[in-house]
Amino acid sequence: MPPTKQEQEDEPSVRDKFIKSATKGKILTNQCTNCGQYMLETVYFCDKCGKNSFKSVELDGIGTVVTYTILAVAPEGFEDAGSYAWVVFKLIDKPIRASGFLSNVATSGDLPLGSKVMVIGYDEKHGLLLKKSDQAE
Amino acid sequence: MTNKVCVLGAGSTRYGKLNESIIELALNASREAILSAGISPKDIGAGYISNVFGAADKQVHIAPVIMSNLGIPYVPGLTIESACGSGSVMLREAFANVYAGFYDCVLAVGVEKITHTGTTQSTTLFSYCSDFFYEGGNGASFPGLFASIARAYLSTHKATEEDLAYVAVKNHDNGILNPKAHVRRKITIDDVLNSPVVASPLKLYDCCPFSDGASALILCSEKFAKSIGRPYVEIIGSGRGASPAAVQGRADITTIPSTVNAAKQAYNMAGVTPSDIDFAEVHDCFTIAEIIDTEDLGFFEKGKAASRIREGDTKLTGRIPINPSGGLKAKGHPIGATGIGQAVEVFEQFTGKAGQRTIKDAEIALTHNFGATGASAAVHIFKKVK
Repeated sequence: MPPTKQEQEDEPSVRDKFIKSATKGKILTNQCTNCGQYMLETVYFCDKCGKNSFKSVELDGIGTVVTYTILAVAPEGFEDAGSYAWVVFKLIDKPIRASGFLSNVATSGDLPLGSKVMVIGYDEKHGLLLKKSDQAE
Repeated sequence: MTNKVCVLGAGSTRYGKLNESIIELALNASREAILSAGISPKDIGAGYISNVFGAADKQVHIAPVIMSNLGIPYVPGLTIESACGSGSVMLREAFANVYAGFYDCVLAVGVEKITHTGTTQSTTLFSYCSDFFYEGGNGASFPGLFASIARAYLSTHKATEEDLAYVAVKNHDNGILNPKAHVRRKITIDDVLNSPVVASPLKLYDCCPFSDGASALILCSEKFAKSIGRPYVEIIGSGRGASPAAVQGRADITTIPSTVNAAKQAYNMAGVTPSDIDFAEVHDCFTIAEIIDTEDLGFFEKGKAASRIREGDTKLTGRIPINPSGGLKAKGHPIGATGIGQAVEVFEQFTGKAGQRTIKDAEIALTHNFGATGASAAVHIFKKVK
């Protein structure tokens, strides 16, 4: 039975679903049922085969740092964030990358490339929250 | 049957912190281009306008306002936005319409008015050009995004922060020779390395300034250009490309696919190779961008640009001069105007108006301009008409 108008209106947005997973330390992805490609939940058509039939998969939000920057001049909304890094990381088990906010990073010595990070939540003000992970690979 | 497309006239305001309104800036550049071409506004069949932050100066839908104030209110205008690449993407559309024969003569004007908002709000507005949910929303400023690209590049290739500084010093040297440049001041390698960190590893002098300004071109068919009898320049190649919007979506963060693909199209259309290019205006919003651009455009092998720049290959008298105008770094970066401003530089170089920054014996030139971190890009190739 198709969803009622009320049910459609109540359906959380794609971004809301992504955020909800992030609050559990997960990264919400879509796996294409045609070719198996993984993409972030916010992608609507498979970027490999073009199909739009997906299986929703929550992956552990643990990854390795691909690159990052430490912001000395913070943009609006981040002035109170202290010394922080914006980090691009690759998930451990799948060929998929995401990015997030990592507090308490002052120098490049604090975060060598390849370091482990993990998703610890989502904050309306600072976005996808990360912390350095002690879990060994 | 397609038309050869020519640049018949060019005009530009000074770039910098300017008092005029966004509309006045656009009109000043347009008037200069029209007079330079030796035409009347009545000859213009359509207007193409590039702009990003019109709302910051309380004016959107700026195309009809510009056309009305040029005295041609019944000539259609179109505004195009593609972040920092708006000018070149708009140039491509103007080019395509003349190429296809829809119009004999069009106005292409890019404009931006941003400095009155202050650094904090400007930084915020620019962050809206990123894939905001993943980037700006997680704390990445634009310098931050390019800093993350720089960190990836420096850790992958043999390059240092000092190599980045060589780009800034060279472009400031060129900017001193450009009377319309935003920053006309010599700097040293030490000045760059000792300037305050904005987003590591990028420092203040690795970054282009926020600028106001406008630049305009008159594009036309070859037949129309010949009928006017003024000097003109031919556009012999045009290409556009795209990349994943977010940095995280790119398999290799040290290259920009939109540049590579746009260049390939432009070279093919023009029937030339990178070795045929006599000089180029490239998108150096941050020093790392110029290093990556010159590799993606085929001027240097991957990973080799930094050493070639250090050796002087990209200076005005080098093997392939890059950004004789001073580039975004010194000439300035009024983002809606930048892509058109690059073509204005080519027009001035090829019509004897570039003064001390003239590239001797140049006949083929390339412009390259991208939006955001390279999510969109356009490349054009120009030929001097003797």
